[in-house]
Amino acid sequence: MNVSSRGRFTFSGGVHPPENKSLTCESQIQPGPEVKQVAVMLSQHIGAVCRPLIRKGDAVQAGQKIGDSDAFVSAPVHSPINGKVKEIALRSHAVLGRSLAIVIETDDEGPAKRPSFQVPADFDVSKYSAEQICEVVRKGGLVGMGGAGFPTRVKIEQDPRIPKDALIINGCECEPYITCDYRIMLEWTSQIIAGIKLAGKASGCSKVFIGIEDNKPQAIEIMSAALRDSGDADGIIAVPVKTKYPQGGERQLIKAILKKNVPPGGIPPMIGVVVLNVATTAAIAEAVVSNLPLTHRVVSVTGEAIAKPGNYYVPIGTSVEDLLEFCGLAPQKSAKVILGGPMMGIAIADLKTPITKTTNAVTVLMKEQIGSAKFARRQTPCIRCGRCLQACPENLNPTKIAHAVKNNLLDVAERYNIGTCIECGCCSYVCPANIEVTGYIKTGKIFLARQKQKMPR
Amino acid sequence: MIDVIIGLAPAMAAAGYYFRMHALILIAACVISCVAAEWLCNLIRKKPNSLDDFSAVVTGIILALSLPPSLPVWAAIIGSFFSITIGKMVFGGLGSNIFNPAMVGRTFLTVSFGVLMTSWTVPASIDPAMPAVAQENILDTRTQATPLAWSKLAIKNELGADIYSEKQFKATFTGEVGGCLGETSVIALLIGGLYLLIRRTINFHIPLAVLSATFVFAGIAYLIDSFAYVQPFFHLTSGGLLLCAFFIATDPVTAPLTRKGMWVFGIGVGVITMLIRIVGEYPEGVMFSVLLMNALTPLIDRFFKRIPAGGSPSI
Repeated sequence: MNVSSRGRFTFSGGVHPPENKSLTCESQIQPGPEVKQVAVMLSQHIGAVCRPLIRKGDAVQAGQKIGDSDAFVSAPVHSPINGKVKEIALRSHAVLGRSLAIVIETDDEGPAKRPSFQVPADFDVSKYSAEQICEVVRKGGLVGMGGAGFPTRVKIEQDPRIPKDALIINGCECEPYITCDYRIMLEWTSQIIAGIKLAGKASGCSKVFIGIEDNKPQAIEIMSAALRDSGDADGIIAVPVKTKYPQGGERQLIKAILKKNVPPGGIPPMIGVVVLNVATTAAIAEAVVSNLPLTHRVVSVTGEAIAKPGNYYVPIGTSVEDLLEFCGLAPQKSAKVILGGPMMGIAIADLKTPITKTTNAVTVLMKEQIGSAKFARRQTPCIRCGRCLQACPENLNPTKIAHAVKNNLLDVAERYNIGTCIECGCCSYVCPANIEVTGYIKTGKIFLARQKQKMPR
Repeated sequence: MIDVIIGLAPAMAAAGYYFRMHALILIAACVISCVAAEWLCNLIRKKPNSLDDFSAVVTGIILALSLPPSLPVWAAIIGSFFSITIGKMVFGGLGSNIFNPAMVGRTFLTVSFGVLMTSWTVPASIDPAMPAVAQENILDTRTQATPLAWSKLAIKNELGADIYSEKQFKATFTGEVGGCLGETSVIALLIGGLYLLIRRTINFHIPLAVLSATFVFAGIAYLIDSFAYVQPFFHLTSGGLLLCAFFIATDPVTAPLTRKGMWVFGIGVGVITMLIRIVGEYPEGVMFSVLLMNALTPLIDRFFKRIPAGGSPSI
C-alpha cells in the first residue's frame, strides 16, 4: 500500500460530481468572526438530548459544561466563550427542525480565538490508559465531526464481545466544495497523528488506515511523510482511495479499504471496525492532552456567492448569519444556504441557525447553479431507466423505494430496504427526470420512524 | 428520447432508400398521428402537455419501422392511435405503461388487418414498381418474401431449410430483402444500436441476452436437424430481431430494472421469439415475445430484487 496504488481502493456505484474545491483548498485555517452571541444546541449528536445544567442569567466560562445527559449514547455540550446565559430557547436545527439551545452573550471583547493547540514535544501515548482516554473523550463532548455526530466515546470504547481490530481515519472528504478536513490534514498533521494514536490505544485496534481520496496528493504526501518522521509508518498507513462520491461514507470507506461490508442497518463496530473523521482525531488529541472540550471547529465557508471563501475556526454555536456576514455574502446572488456540502448537506431556511459540532461547511449556491435542477427543468415521470440503481453505493433500488413512499406504500419501501439507504444523494444526482429520489426516501424514513414512534411528530 | 430518435435514424434512412416514398409517408403518418393522439389524450384528461419528452415520436417511429411497406396510410394511423391511447395513455402516460406501446399498436393491426400486415413487397432498389411478393417467388433469390416467411414456406413445401447462402446473408445485411420498413437492414440497425450503447442510453444486457438466447436456441435446433431448421445466423439477421433487441426490448419503461432481471427478460424474449418462429404458425414472433415478457416484467422485478451491500437485513 503506497501512494502509487491509485484507484485500487474503491466501492461499487457512486458518482463523480464536479469538485469545486479550488475555492477554498488554498485557504489556511483562520479565526472566524468575533461573535457577540452563540447558541449552543442541546442536541448536536445522535442520541439522547442533553438537559441544560445552568439557568438563565448564570455566568459561564469558556469550556464550562452547560448541558449533559445520563444516557450512554450521548455527549455533553460546553460553552465556547465567557459570558452570561441570555436564554434557553428554541433555535432552528438543520435536522430536528426547532430544538432547544442555550444562548450565551459574551462579555469580553477580545479578538476571535485562534487555533492554538500544539502537540507537546514529550507526548507519549503510553502515558494514557484506554479507560482514561475514553473518559476524557466523553467529558470533552466529542462526536463524529464528519456529519452524523455519533458520540466518539461509544465508537472507540472497547467491547469484550466484539473486539475491534481496524481503525480507519476518514480523510476522504468526497463531498464537493468542502475543504476543512483537507486543510486540517495539511496544517494539523502532528495533532491528527497524536489523536490517531490515542484513538488506537483506546479502541485496541491493531491496524490503522488513513483513507484519503487520490485527488488530494498533497495531503497523502504530508501525512505519509509525517508518519515516516515520527516512526509510526509501520502501524499507521495512509491509503489513497479512489476519488468518487460517496467515498467518505464510512460503509463505503470500509468496503474500499478492508473489502468488507458492514451489515445493513448495522454500524462498523459490529465487524470490529472504528471509523473516525480526521477532525475528530484532532479534537481527541486536544481533549486528551490539554483537557480542552470540543468548543470550536473548522468550517469551510464556500460558494461562488461568497466574497472571502475559506476555512474558518469558529466557536460552536455561531449563527450562520454572523459567519456569512463575516465572509462577505452577496445576498442578491445567493439562492440557497446549505449546512454541509451540496450532495448531503441540508438547506436551511433560517440564517440564525447555529453551527453545531457536525457542521463541516456552509455552502452558498447561486440561482444559476441550482437552476437546471430546480427552476428551468421540470420533473418528468420516471421511465425506469435504472441509473439510480447503478449509482447506488448500497446496491438498493432507489426508484422503487421513492415511488413506494410517494404512493404511501411504506411496507413496500421497507421490503426494498429503505432503512439501509445512507442518503448520499447519488440517485437524485443522476436522475434524468429530475426526481428528488433521496428526498422521497428521507421522507419515507421519517414516516416510518413516526409510525414506530421513534420520532416526535 | 432524442438519442433513441438519432439511433433510429440509420434504420429510417435505410427504409427510405429501399422502400422510397412509401416508407417516408408511413413514418410521417405514424409520428404525426402518435403525437396528435397524445395531445388529444392530454387534452381530454386535462393533464399538462407531455409532448416535449418525445416519447410519442419514438413510439411513432418504432411502430412505422415495424409495418410492412405496402400498408395503407389509414391503417397506420389507426395503429398509431391505438398504440398511444390504449398502449400508453390509459395507463397514465409515459412511465406507467405495462406494454411497449408500439408493439401494442402493431399487434392490434396484425389481428385486425391480417392480410395487409403480411403482404410484403420487394425493395424498390430491386424493382422500382415494388410488386407484392408472391409465393411463387420462393426459389428466386432476388425477389423474396421476408426471409423468415420464406424459410417457413420452404420447410413446409419440404424444400429443405438449407436455403441460406452467402448472397442472402449479404442481402439481409444491407437490407435488400422483403420485410417490415425498418427491420431489413442489419447494418443500419447495428449502427443505431451501437450509438445507443455508446451514449449509454441503453445498456448491453438486454440486447446481448436477446441475441445470445436466440442464437443458442436456433443453434441447438440447427444441430438437431439441419434440414428442418435454418442456420442460427439467419435467425439473428432476419426479421425484427435486431430492431427488437436494440430498440424495443430495451424500452426502459417496460423492461426490468435489475441486471439479473434484464438477463431473464432478454433471454425470455429470445426464447419465445424462437419458439414462435420454429414451432408456431407465425413466421415472426418478436412482437408477441416482447409483449409476453412485458407482462412478466413486474414479476421479474419482484423476483430478482437487489440485495443491499452486506446482505439482506433480517426484518
